[in-house]
Amino acid sequence: MLLLANEAIARGVLEAGVRLVALYPGTPSSEIGNNLTAMAPHLSNFYFEFSTNEKVAIEVAGAAAVAGVRSLMVCKGPGLNVAADPFLSLAYVGVRAGMVVLVADDPSMWSSQNENDSRFYALMANTPMLEPSDSSEAKSMLLQAYDISEQLELPVMFRTTTRVNHSRSPVELGSIRERPDKVQFVKDPFRFVPIPSVAYKRHPWLLGQMEKALKVSESTPLNFSSGTGSLGIITSGVAYNYAVEALSRMNIEAELLKLGLTNPVPEHMISEFLKRHTTVVVVEELEPFVETQTRRIAQLKRITVDILGKDQGYFPRTYEYTPRIVIEALSKILNRKTSIDWEAIDAKVREIPPLPPRPPLLCPGCPHRATYYAIRAATRGKAIYPSDIGCYTLSIAPPLETADILFDMGSSITTACGIAQVTGQDVVATIGDSTFFASGLPGIVDAVYNKHPICVVILDNRTTAMTGQQPHPGTGLTGMQEKVTPLDIADVCRGLGVQYVRIVRPFDSMVDLVAEVRQMVAWTRERKQPSVLVSREPCAILTAAERSRSEEPLQRYYVDTTECNGCRRCLTRYSCPAMYFDPESGRALIDETLCNMCGSCVAVCPQGAIRKGER
Amino acid sequence: MIRIDCNAAPTVNMVLTGVGGQGVLTLADMMARAAMFDGHNVRVGEIHGMAQRGGHVTCTVRIGPCATGPIVDPGTAQLILGFEPIETLREIQFVVPEGLVILNSHIQMPVAVSMGQIDYPKHELVLALIRKFTSKVLEFDALDVAKTAGGAGSLNMVLFGAAIASEITPISRSTALRSIHESFPGKFEEVNARAFTIGYSIAKDKLSY
Repeated sequence: MLLLANEAIARGVLEAGVRLVALYPGTPSSEIGNNLTAMAPHLSNFYFEFSTNEKVAIEVAGAAAVAGVRSLMVCKGPGLNVAADPFLSLAYVGVRAGMVVLVADDPSMWSSQNENDSRFYALMANTPMLEPSDSSEAKSMLLQAYDISEQLELPVMFRTTTRVNHSRSPVELGSIRERPDKVQFVKDPFRFVPIPSVAYKRHPWLLGQMEKALKVSESTPLNFSSGTGSLGIITSGVAYNYAVEALSRMNIEAELLKLGLTNPVPEHMISEFLKRHTTVVVVEELEPFVETQTRRIAQLKRITVDILGKDQGYFPRTYEYTPRIVIEALSKILNRKTSIDWEAIDAKVREIPPLPPRPPLLCPGCPHRATYYAIRAATRGKAIYPSDIGCYTLSIAPPLETADILFDMGSSITTACGIAQVTGQDVVATIGDSTFFASGLPGIVDAVYNKHPICVVILDNRTTAMTGQQPHPGTGLTGMQEKVTPLDIADVCRGLGVQYVRIVRPFDSMVDLVAEVRQMVAWTRERKQPSVLVSREPCAILTAAERSRSEEPLQRYYVDTTECNGCRRCLTRYSCPAMYFDPESGRALIDETLCNMCGSCVAVCPQGAIRKGER
Repeated sequence: MIRIDCNAAPTVNMVLTGVGGQGVLTLADMMARAAMFDGHNVRVGEIHGMAQRGGHVTCTVRIGPCATGPIVDPGTAQLILGFEPIETLREIQFVVPEGLVILNSHIQMPVAVSMGQIDYPKHELVLALIRKFTSKVLEFDALDVAKTAGGAGSLNMVLFGAAIASEITPISRSTALRSIHESFPGKFEEVNARAFTIGYSIAKDKLSY
């Protein structure tokens, strides 16, 4: 079967007999949860949840594995940062049944705020780590990860990268393993409660387990060498594919050591490998993780060998690799020419004049566009606009330009606090509904208790939009697809002590929306306290899906070209992707195939030229 | 575990480039499945940023025993399937010298152009720049064809037909139609198969082998 690695991992969950999966969606790992939630209601003895955030997810999954069933936690790279605290403790106490912590790193930052190399967490936490290189390995190695986890009683880190997660390749399906029903929690507090006296004993235990892990690493078929030649190459993860392709295209004989288990690295295997070669090239994306380990082993075993990699500048520490990067590095090392003249191609590319950019944008009919337009209008663009993690960060682009500072999930509220304290400027933070539940709550508490004069607009679009429409505690749907009572964001804020909480529907009236923002800014200025405005309107993608189901007759929006004077205000101030300028007529037009019929552009046109209904 | 045992047998590399929402990802998946029906090894890479809509999207499809990773290097794609003129030009460096570019000439205006920040380059210029990389350019308004076939949403199937007609891939016409049958149950199959067939004949007429 042709499977995306994320689909292969979801299948692996079934083949490994995993009883509980908890995760907060994060690209490039999002499709794992999407597949699991689709299957969850149809499986017996299986529990899946979209947890509130990654710290919650790893605790839920960790406890299940302590209780004695196989569990999985999934997150993107920055998600493991959120879950780092429990992850490190979990390694100390260990697990009774297999547990895997799957972290999807994002070299090139296709959808992340950094490209941190999560492999260092495996070093710090002292957990075994596996790195698959494609869909097929993503499934087969997941099964092996559970065996290793149970053998060592440790959580195992399973580290993928975007180019693994988002690639499709053939996968052979195996049989599905039965899942246990309920298990008994057997108490053992002096193992599972790491008070100092317990932790004191658990640390040496953990290091002892990693000694055993080293033996696994030396003997597992996950680490293997192939080929012969004077040149040696050590590689891991997706870079393995590029190394193989480079050798084939360059027609070079080399011995290649592929590491699938990269913590602990197989010391004996590597030292024997180093002894067999005078030059060893290390090929891995991001940080010199395996490379540094290789240097350490060479020094420890006093092996004289040239270890070439990032430290000498043959390979970059940034962005995704390609076969080209490996071919160019090997060509430089071997003093050869590449068979393709890439410099000539690059030179031709430089002759192409700058093309109009086409970055990702807020969708046509996105309620965030109306809210940001109103925030900007109400504050005349002069307030400070802390932003957060979600689609709405796209408001950084002109003409909305309402993203000024961002660190991580939930930071809109807390950075607003810091800015408001030291500047005296108006601060209007924006945060999405899912992000609010994930990590906005402590910020609200801080703002209320410490009386930070900040305005918080919560963009409640009824879903976790950016990662692909997953539910969250405000939606009334669980990962098991069970309907439950949703948490109301306004009630939550009132409960946390916010004195000013109002709800607005952004598509009802642009004039009212602007007035609401003005009012909250004035209130916060006067009272020196936080205010909250919940801007509630379902994500445009949900609206479009709903409409296509309902089959109601459509009332389309159009530009009355006799009224439009071509001022372009709709385009330069609102810039909905469904609108464009027709150079022939000199008028703005609405593309009916893209328009999502939100109608918010009507109020933006000073001529009143945008109309609804039949033309 | 995968052990690759492979001499330098040719890999068919394709780059699909367009705008989010045009069906780029769907087509890449279908082409790979179709190739697998006939027993070929495949890899698909989906290269897209934060949002799914409105942004530039690129997919790679690789067919052949030596296809290991999903990445296609500059100068190695035998076929560029361009869903939009400037998005085709944006990825033109991937084409192998004198490789084939199949180009939907229908323009989708980027917001930066609508806002008046930058002009959309003249079509003659786009073509001239593409021709610096290859003279083999097959262009037609695939969106018009899709609409004739029954819906703008079948644009990707028009290009699928044209790609199969080029005979660059090992995918046969009947296998491609089978993948359409399996991917689109019910009413969409007819429209998509029609779009495929028209795209196929247009390309057959314009290409001579």
